[in-house]
Amino acid sequence: MRILTCLKQVPERDSRYKLNRDGSGILEQDLVFETNESDLYALEEALRLKEAFGGEVAALSLGPDRVSKVLRNALAMGADRAIHLKGEDFERGDAWVTAHAIAAAIASQDFDLVLTGVQSEDMAFAQTGAVLAQMLGWPCATIVMEIAYEADTRGVQVKRELESNVFERVELPLPAVLTIQSGSHPIRYATLRGIMQAKRKEFRVLTAADLGLPPEALGETAAKVRHHRLLVPEKKKRTMMIEGGAEEAARTLMDKLVNEIGVI
Amino acid sequence: MAGRIIVLGEHRDGQLKKTSWEAIGLGRKLSAELGKKVCLALVGSEIDGLAREVSGRSGLEVAVLANHHCRHYTPEGYCEVLVEFARTERPYLLLLGHTYQTMDFAPRLATMLDRGLIPNCVDYRSEAGRLLWVRQVFNGKLNLEVSPQGEPPYLVSLQQGAFPASEENLENSPRVEHRQVGVAEGTLRRKLLEVMEAVQTKVDLSQAEIIVAGGRGLGSKEKFQLILDLAEALGAGVGASRPVTDGGWLPKEHQIGSSGQTVTPRLYIACGISGAIQHLVGMSNSGCIVAINKDPYAPIFQVADYGIVGDVFQVVPKLIEIAREMRP
Repeated sequence: MRILTCLKQVPERDSRYKLNRDGSGILEQDLVFETNESDLYALEEALRLKEAFGGEVAALSLGPDRVSKVLRNALAMGADRAIHLKGEDFERGDAWVTAHAIAAAIASQDFDLVLTGVQSEDMAFAQTGAVLAQMLGWPCATIVMEIAYEADTRGVQVKRELESNVFERVELPLPAVLTIQSGSHPIRYATLRGIMQAKRKEFRVLTAADLGLPPEALGETAAKVRHHRLLVPEKKKRTMMIEGGAEEAARTLMDKLVNEIGVI
Repeated sequence: MAGRIIVLGEHRDGQLKKTSWEAIGLGRKLSAELGKKVCLALVGSEIDGLAREVSGRSGLEVAVLANHHCRHYTPEGYCEVLVEFARTERPYLLLLGHTYQTMDFAPRLATMLDRGLIPNCVDYRSEAGRLLWVRQVFNGKLNLEVSPQGEPPYLVSLQQGAFPASEENLENSPRVEHRQVGVAEGTLRRKLLEVMEAVQTKVDLSQAEIIVAGGRGLGSKEKFQLILDLAEALGAGVGASRPVTDGGWLPKEHQIGSSGQTVTPRLYIACGISGAIQHLVGMSNSGCIVAINKDPYAPIFQVADYGIVGDVFQVVPKLIEIAREMRP
């Protein structure tokens, strides 16, 4: 089975964000970036499928130089090759633009399965996978918890999460796109051996020109959704912040809960 | 009637979902502000009864897009029906609740219509004659204002609980309109095999008066014991955010949020929980919310009544100590 995993690089979860002057973006210089968590779950599923049924796993990401860290890590975890869609053209787009670029990059590669995370932790549009499926003309299942490959029918049966502890099992033929929910299987760590092997694996860098995509097909100009400005959210409640050391804060809090508002 | 606002209702077991009532509420409000008519569309099979009921309760005209291929939800069936509807109806705006079902088909629908979907909106405002939609980004730490490019139809989904549900008025006489919609053979590649409840929910937190919940900040299954101890000392139920159940530190039935339980206890103590949107929708209507987290910018503090910026491993043991002292 030939599997593509799409991974996004996002700022670390505990990042503190500073807006640029006009609020159109964040200042990146103090940020540390990591791989989007649900995309790592997608990679884990891809590696498990390869281990069970053979084939290859390619890892793809879009963005500037720093994105290569995501791909090196994917190779160290066990992916066979990496595809880096690199350049400013791939930034400031929306899900449509990102999916368009990925579709162009994999057009002639005969993948059976594309796996990606349910959503990114930064922009959280949660749709690149489903948009990509439509562009490729493939079926898709989102929010997938389990994948079972059916070799005789050349399809997959997947368990999808619905709300409130309800699940459904659906069947779809390959090729297909699946977006993977977190928690499916524990994410493996890159081993030292994996890191050493990664250095010898294929690492392709492709630009928009390589894909035959003109500038107007990418970035803000092609986006269907336009980003205006970032804002610091207004607080919904007045929060009383309790100061002091652990003991003092704990005593003050318990005193308020017991004596002032009587919820304990 | 071109250019209407269409609320796309989601239903399960013959009931319209709460998020759809919220979308109806916003659809009505926008209808008044923009001077456009609003109506509800339902996709399914044998849904006349539901359509009449919802039309009666909401006062909206309901377009029924019925096809036997849509008896069970599939993204391909829904998209085919809705693309045909959108092409004949030419709506101004399609409003949906941001549910797991919406996440599954609406991006595909938008792409088929050559449009973008603006998902999970929490607010909007009018600026220079257009609507700007507000979405939460960067794990809820920032908001982003976006607008759709190009011509209608625009597709927007609304975060659960972000907008008030429409007021219901049982006095209306139902107005239901049937639309002919076809689904071509072979369209439905993805097939539904079964729907199941994953776990017997032995843990019902919906009735708990106090809930102590722990998150990723606890770090491991062993350290999560601290949360169990505090819950025991307070006579509280035990809740968790998704990373805890994903990591197997606690069974999934303790999970609170969009894929777990929704709770409204008198007191909710969130320890080491950053407050992802998916968690907040399950607990933000609790009476009193206490948040203990080392990150002062964690979004959990946006909904907290009391906050302690600190290390859960320092603060929680003290709380346990005090709670045990108080007990007779």
